[in-house]
Amino acid sequence: MFVWGQSWEKSMMNCETHKADMWVPPPLSNVSFAPNSYPLFSHNKVSIFFCKMDVTLGLLADSPAGHGDAGGGVPSGGSTTARPILTGSKEDNNKNSMVMSSEVTSSYPVVVDQNLNDLELGLGLSIGCGLKSKGWSQYARILTAKDFPTCKQNSSSSSSSVSIPNSGTKRTATDSVSPPNCTSVVGWPPVSKAHRMPSLANEIKSPNGNLISITEQNKSKIRTIGIKDCSKKKYQSVKVNMDGSLIGRKVDLNVHTSYEMLAQTLEQMFFRRRSSTEAAKYSRLLDGTSQFVLTYEDKDGDCMLVGDVPWQMFLSSVKRLRIMKNSQSNELAPRFQENNERHRTDAV
Amino acid sequence: MVYSLPEEVLEHVFSFITSDKDRNVVSVVCKSWYEIERWCRRKVFIGNCYAVSPAIMIRRFPEVRSVELKGKPHFADFNLVPEGWGGYACSWIDEMSRSYPWLEEIRLKRMVITDESLELISTSFKNFRVLVLSSCEGFSTDGLSAIAANCRNLRELDLQESEVMDLSGHWLSHFPDTFTSLESLNMSCLGSEVSFSALERLVAMSPNLKTLRLNRAVPLGKLSTLLQQAPQLVELGTGAYSSGIRSDVYSALSKAFLGCKELKGLSGFWDVDPSYLPAFFSVCSRLTTLNLSYATIRSPDITKVINLCPNLQRLLVLDHIEDSGLNALALSCKNLQELRVFPSDMYVADANVTLTEQGLVSVTQGCPKLQSVLYFCHQMSNSALITIAKNRPNLTCFRLCIIEPRTPDYLTHEPLDIGFGAIVKHCKNLSRLSLSGLLTDRVFEYIGTHAKKLDMLSIAFAGDSDLGLHHVLSGCESLKKLEIRDCPFGDTALLANVAKLATMRSLWMSSCAVSIGACKILSRKMPMLNVEVIDENGTLNPKLDNCLVEKLYVYRTVAGPRSDMPGYIWTMDRDSANKI
Repeated sequence: MFVWGQSWEKSMMNCETHKADMWVPPPLSNVSFAPNSYPLFSHNKVSIFFCKMDVTLGLLADSPAGHGDAGGGVPSGGSTTARPILTGSKEDNNKNSMVMSSEVTSSYPVVVDQNLNDLELGLGLSIGCGLKSKGWSQYARILTAKDFPTCKQNSSSSSSSVSIPNSGTKRTATDSVSPPNCTSVVGWPPVSKAHRMPSLANEIKSPNGNLISITEQNKSKIRTIGIKDCSKKKYQSVKVNMDGSLIGRKVDLNVHTSYEMLAQTLEQMFFRRRSSTEAAKYSRLLDGTSQFVLTYEDKDGDCMLVGDVPWQMFLSSVKRLRIMKNSQSNELAPRFQENNERHRTDAV
Repeated sequence: MVYSLPEEVLEHVFSFITSDKDRNVVSVVCKSWYEIERWCRRKVFIGNCYAVSPAIMIRRFPEVRSVELKGKPHFADFNLVPEGWGGYACSWIDEMSRSYPWLEEIRLKRMVITDESLELISTSFKNFRVLVLSSCEGFSTDGLSAIAANCRNLRELDLQESEVMDLSGHWLSHFPDTFTSLESLNMSCLGSEVSFSALERLVAMSPNLKTLRLNRAVPLGKLSTLLQQAPQLVELGTGAYSSGIRSDVYSALSKAFLGCKELKGLSGFWDVDPSYLPAFFSVCSRLTTLNLSYATIRSPDITKVINLCPNLQRLLVLDHIEDSGLNALALSCKNLQELRVFPSDMYVADANVTLTEQGLVSVTQGCPKLQSVLYFCHQMSNSALITIAKNRPNLTCFRLCIIEPRTPDYLTHEPLDIGFGAIVKHCKNLSRLSLSGLLTDRVFEYIGTHAKKLDMLSIAFAGDSDLGLHHVLSGCESLKKLEIRDCPFGDTALLANVAKLATMRSLWMSSCAVSIGACKILSRKMPMLNVEVIDENGTLNPKLDNCLVEKLYVYRTVAGPRSDMPGYIWTMDRDSANKI
């Protein structure tokens, strides 16, 4: 019967009580309730949930005499302790429904607890947690916002969602629980697909002409579905063309974390290694020792040498990659020409 | 006397009543009016396709000509609804194909429709005229070929923001030579090239074409050809708006635009080359709608355009417009009704883009007819919001997105409660509101107290406790759609307001503090609601009542639990295999 109440309390055990802002809500008017019935809700009224003492849970210091049954009569005096619990009503034994019941007569006063430290009148819903350390000196009180649980939840939600921070202290932008970083939250900011990174979204949706087979097109559709699930980073796949090669490739920049990794991937794509155990300590594409040079086209349409700017900055400005034959890159830094002279006959 | 009026007369009178709400009111006057009305209802709008079944709709309204359905929850636009969730149009199309032979219009939003269904549409309805697939998916250009080939009287084909599997650009060629009825075509979402000759042919044989929205792949050089064929266009969506340095393209384009005397709306503008902008300046004075939300042009260019558009009513633009552009907007466009400013870079504030709250304040000050705002920015203050509220009490839609969650007032570092409070207090007709920034339970108190006409509310990363949700559910009398993510709202407020949920279309809560136990209780108490718990990760243990749910979608329905739920959705044990 008390399953709901129990589990609620268990989860509330660890929570911090909420320190409410000082606000005074609109005054109560015409609070109505009926014994043994669910107080039906109407606008601008808040039902008061009355507490019942629970002896069986053994959570209370005192138990008033003569109220030993499980249902627990509500004590009439002001000296008993009572734990606010939401219980099943008598009429609804089997369903265990969430009916607030008060097993009292209609002359059921609403008492403001004079002993509470803050005399603020508040409307609220009955939760026990905020009062776990206090005894109750009456069976009912108007609850304040303090009683509302604002716990850090043991969220079983997806890893990409954000856990709800504690609000024990005044909330500031520098919360102890770090506020969600935009890049790691699914679906935030709330921009629909059509308006999300306009240029990139349209690029990805369109397959490269009619030459691509259906499976490729489906793959690209699956990739767009992948965008939906991958919330960690922007999806960033760029075309790579190599001079002398008719067919281009595409590489996902986000799975790489450095220039080195990218260069190695490209070398594997374009220059098949003779044996897979031959691992290069460093990529020859980057250091100018190969006859090819890795360049990219940036946001402004300029052709730039890969490797000059920090990786993250590179990610944000790169539009496509191009592996150029070294002879074409003579306008680049002089050191390449030097290297050219030395390693001209080297195949990569 | 009213009851001596013959049915035909009443029917004729009812035919002038087109609004759904009015029709619903008419139908409950008395039994005979209910009967007459249901036989002559021609248009049905179903805001949640799972709220009712096709059979129920067909039984009540046997002579419908136009059906509009919406499927997935709104947050599906932001990837919060997993694949395979539902929203399948199939059963609707199947049953309507059998029972509505005279159906003329189908409008779907956020639904999944297959090529087979499209083919069925094209062959079942002899007088089919309008197909609008907004943010839909599941179909390919093959389905479009069937529509093109078989719908002899098609007037409107609108694929707005849908995800179409692009198998070939040749579907346009399937329109037969005798096809002359096209009035509106929106294919802007298609990725690949369409056959230009087919497009040209189609435009040439459609004298009634009023709306044409091309996709990005249609080169600018071809646009002038199309415009010359269709100078009667009212709405145009360009393709890519650049073409290298080609003065012949420019002059042809300019001349073509000069000929379009009816043009009122422009959109498209991918890859804009600013030097081509002046080509359409001749139509600016008549423009009422301008969508530059794909145009990455800078503020000076945008301002130049805006200054030429005094009759602008609707502007969609990127934040490149900056405060300076918005100031110009406030000065030039006194008829502005709707403004949407989208972020160009979604994650990091671009140091080169100075768009702040000031821009929005200027527009609300300068544009007396402004009603609808969607605004993405990086900073906001309470004083700005209060100013906006006082400037524009006629706002009906206010959606503000401060990009970094839980950002406080940048001047005072306070929560933005009083700012949004001012909005709901002054804008008495506000029907749609989206919140952002640092917000406590207080803002929800204001909303509950003042936002009496609020129909849809979106909340993210806000609130302190259940009291916030409780204020909303108990105070907002007109609330129909509530969507919440990442807020500390839980069982108590939900269970205290179960009756309210039956008056709403739907409630979405994700990454909140709702437990499975509460969901069970809600299901038991409210059999007219479908309580769907989404457990994508498979971590939910439905036996543990205090286990929190990832995502919860609750909606009222007369159709019972749906039969097409994917494996990751849990519902109350009625007779489905997935039971709580």
